[in-house]
Amino acid sequence: MKSQHQVATAQKVLVQVALVVLSAVFLFPFAWMILTALKPLDETMTIPIKWMPSKFLWSNFTDAIKYGHESVGYYPFLVYARNSIVLCALIVSGTVASNSIVAYSFARLRWPGRDLAFGVTLATMMVPFPVLMVPTFALFRHLDWIGTYRPLWVPAWFGSAFSIFLLRQFFRTIPFELTEAAKIDGASEWRIFRSIVLPLSKAAVAVVALFSFMGAWNDFLGPLIYLLDQKTFTLSLGLQFYQSQNGGTSWNLLMAASAMVIAPVIILFFFTQKLFIQGIAITGLKG
Amino acid sequence: MKRIGRREAWAGFIFASPWAIGFLVFMAYPLIASIYFSFCDYSVLKPPIWVGLDNYKALLHDELFWKTLKNTLIYAVIALPAGMATAIILAMLLNTKVKGMAAYRTFFFIPSLVPQVSLAILWMWVLNGEHGVLNPILKTVGITGPNWMGDPNWSKPSLVLMGMWGVGNAMLIYLAGLQDVPTQLIEASELDGANSWQKTVNVTLPMISPVILFNLIMGIIGTLQVFTVPYIMFPNGAPEHSTYFYAVYLYDNAFRYHKMGYASAMGWIMFLMILVLTVCSLRMSEKHVHYQGT
Amino acid sequence: MDRSAFTIPVLAIAVLGVLFESEQLTAPPPPDGKVHVKYWEKWTAFEFDAMKHVVDEFNKSQDKIQVDILSVSGIEDKTLMAISGGIPPDVVGLYGPNVTQYADNHAVIQLDDLCKAGGIKEEDYIPAYWNIGVVRGHLYALPSTPATTALHYNRALFKEAGLDPEKPPKTIDELDAMADKLTKRDANGHVIRTGFMPGEPGWWNWAWGPFFGGKLWDGKDKITINSPDNVKAFEWIQSFSKKWGASALQSFKSGFGQFSSPQNAFMMSQNAMEIQGVWMYNFIHMYAPTLDWAAAPFPAARPDLPNPTVIDLDVLCIPTGAKHQAEAFKFLQYVESQKGLEMLCLGQKKITPLRKVSAGFIEHHPNPYIKLFIDMAYSKTTISTPKLGIWSQYNDEISSAFDSVTLMTKTPKQALDDVQGRMQPILDQYLDRLHLRGEQ
Repeated sequence: MKSQHQVATAQKVLVQVALVVLSAVFLFPFAWMILTALKPLDETMTIPIKWMPSKFLWSNFTDAIKYGHESVGYYPFLVYARNSIVLCALIVSGTVASNSIVAYSFARLRWPGRDLAFGVTLATMMVPFPVLMVPTFALFRHLDWIGTYRPLWVPAWFGSAFSIFLLRQFFRTIPFELTEAAKIDGASEWRIFRSIVLPLSKAAVAVVALFSFMGAWNDFLGPLIYLLDQKTFTLSLGLQFYQSQNGGTSWNLLMAASAMVIAPVIILFFFTQKLFIQGIAITGLKG
Repeated sequence: MKRIGRREAWAGFIFASPWAIGFLVFMAYPLIASIYFSFCDYSVLKPPIWVGLDNYKALLHDELFWKTLKNTLIYAVIALPAGMATAIILAMLLNTKVKGMAAYRTFFFIPSLVPQVSLAILWMWVLNGEHGVLNPILKTVGITGPNWMGDPNWSKPSLVLMGMWGVGNAMLIYLAGLQDVPTQLIEASELDGANSWQKTVNVTLPMISPVILFNLIMGIIGTLQVFTVPYIMFPNGAPEHSTYFYAVYLYDNAFRYHKMGYASAMGWIMFLMILVLTVCSLRMSEKHVHYQGT
Repeated sequence: MDRSAFTIPVLAIAVLGVLFESEQLTAPPPPDGKVHVKYWEKWTAFEFDAMKHVVDEFNKSQDKIQVDILSVSGIEDKTLMAISGGIPPDVVGLYGPNVTQYADNHAVIQLDDLCKAGGIKEEDYIPAYWNIGVVRGHLYALPSTPATTALHYNRALFKEAGLDPEKPPKTIDELDAMADKLTKRDANGHVIRTGFMPGEPGWWNWAWGPFFGGKLWDGKDKITINSPDNVKAFEWIQSFSKKWGASALQSFKSGFGQFSSPQNAFMMSQNAMEIQGVWMYNFIHMYAPTLDWAAAPFPAARPDLPNPTVIDLDVLCIPTGAKHQAEAFKFLQYVESQKGLEMLCLGQKKITPLRKVSAGFIEHHPNPYIKLFIDMAYSKTTISTPKLGIWSQYNDEISSAFDSVTLMTKTPKQALDDVQGRMQPILDQYLDRLHLRGEQ
């Protein structure tokens, strides 16, 4: 009869083993991506498979940056990166600004129809983008905004259901006594928002900003529909150009470019890990 | 007192106005316009002409409509449970007090940060029939991998695999939920002699059922709209339309074949499906979901 | 308190700065007194350079109009989006098969009147090419660079397999027999060289039916993809998979390198015989100059269909809503002159779409087989894409059937019946809608 202690230790060992194996599984594609990025092209196409590159071609990374169309300049990758950064900055700032204001209204201000409006907001999370795609395109067409970045960042300044939900849940956890006191002293709502609620909500706002950044950095369908001039493309569109239209692909350069697209997000995550995980917990996503 | 009330209400309206404008312009108007377009023949270069139910009738007879719908639903039915199970299992593994938990948590989470485009491209490479790396690895444990990208029977499973790789953020949410499970409950069940399996099924899972429900609904909404990865990895849903997804067919109809009325009809059908599935999930949840504190 | 009063204005300025930058990134360039004609073209590398040369000559020859040429990938979809989006280029270089769709969608303007006033005449052109730009009796596109196809084969591999390199196959049966001799497997059964693959390069998978005499539609309102001749063609396509194994061929093909690189399958001697166009010479010259190869008329599937060739054409159109239509047409006139077309086609090392060919053209042409390709344009069996507005969808369906057949997941008849079943209702609906708008 195994003692409870022995069972517990055996389980612990099993768990450790499982975690190690799974970690290897989860990290392997990244490793493979980097290995491929460092190989010369013909080594990517060998049969049987060649695991390690014969030499570490770090130049593939610079080649990947230079790869692309003359019309876009000498370093197309950097052009796309700049576009992505500019767009992300506009989207993230819009998201943070608009959603925090709107969520404040839903969370801490009383007005007729508020709960109905919040319900409607939640319901809109169910509306899939494809059903809005055609009329939205026609709308932007009439505004002559196609080909510019406006269709991509302007909507971010008008609130989005998920972020409103997150922030509203969080704002409600701030004790009402704090704000009541300020109100009785005659402070305006904007004052209360800016000086009391917002400073206390840094973590939640950071989570919203992070999610928004990842969404914007990641977005493919939006730029696909609204951006037409190659010089204005974002990284997600630009990555496609490493695949030749006529068939055949420079896998090593493509992997190098992909690595460079993934890297900022991962680096950002490393710096904001604690905040991020804290944010998920406190915004009550789990309940 | 009333003055504060009125001021507050006004502030409420003003603060909520960005959402209100956004809702009218980017949500309500497109929804209504899209119903209208779905009853028309329309392409932006030609004005809409009313055709009544013609688009919907044509959809019923469109083989590709049914095929893409089937593909999307099959994918959802496999990917959602597989993803949820993976996320929960990973979360439970992480919830044990082992050393290095923070590191493992990071390893499992990072894949979910990868942008969709890079994800598609990376896995195209990993799953490549001739030069990919998954099959050689499987060979070392004696399994002969199929032609993931080229065999219609294995193309959807490839996508499911990729989905399971990216469950990182769902896993974090489950982990947070698991950490909320009151330890007294678990200890009580141990005293009753429950083993690991029973503890999981009878205590842990019910306690995190609200999280499961939330992820299920978000999963339904997300999976039915999946676009980027199939669009990039499998142009035209090759091989043989096995990975032609509903959202991609919709996009093709709107922007490549210029049948925007038709695409609007497809969009509405997708929306209705999501509504029905969400309501069903909520209904079912009343029986199975336990909220703490109620 | 002081800090927070500071952060919001700073943030606001930062955001405004970014906004300004984003507007700059998508703003049009400042004016300089000339009319700027935006020209989108699909070509890259030396083909692009050939057209750029023509553009530069045009710009130099006068000082009122400046043509800005841009290389755009995925041009057939991007241009349609740009036209729908209200920001079309002034001239666009499309593929011949796109013309009907663009015309039916009101995406490009009619050129009849402009041509009459500008002296561009139908009689000057090889009929097969002029016709590609005509839809329902109106001209919507002018030819830019034409092409024909022929059999390209690797003479060194022929010699190695005991075949006479001076005697390329003349019929499909001969082709099959020679392909059998040229295909090789290694000790593990992997295919390491193919004699012929109908799917390589895979740009004309839709054309095999017509090679065997099949028609893709009846010219009016019926899709005819499952006619016996088409089925015969697809049975021939499937025969390769039957002989060598569907997944073996599939694996082999998935490892092929980029077309425009030294890793091209034909240039690496991985594929011994291939259907290719007049441009192939350039790429071989660039990436595999020591390759011992030759071109010959493609073998006939039936004796009454000799010298089958795919007529491929790049065209120039003026999109609807273009801001500078008159100036755009002036540029087109320049290109369509004999001088302009020969400059362009010589630069791309192709044939010209004009009947008249100036004396030095053939002599100075670097492609040793140029006369063959010119002759092909006058062949009895010219094959071009059907003039259907739903062509891109139809083509996708045929490709899908091609895949099913090469992967052996469907029989040819099944695959083609499926395409028939899907496309007929789509064609019916398409024609109905045109009728509804009074355009049919």
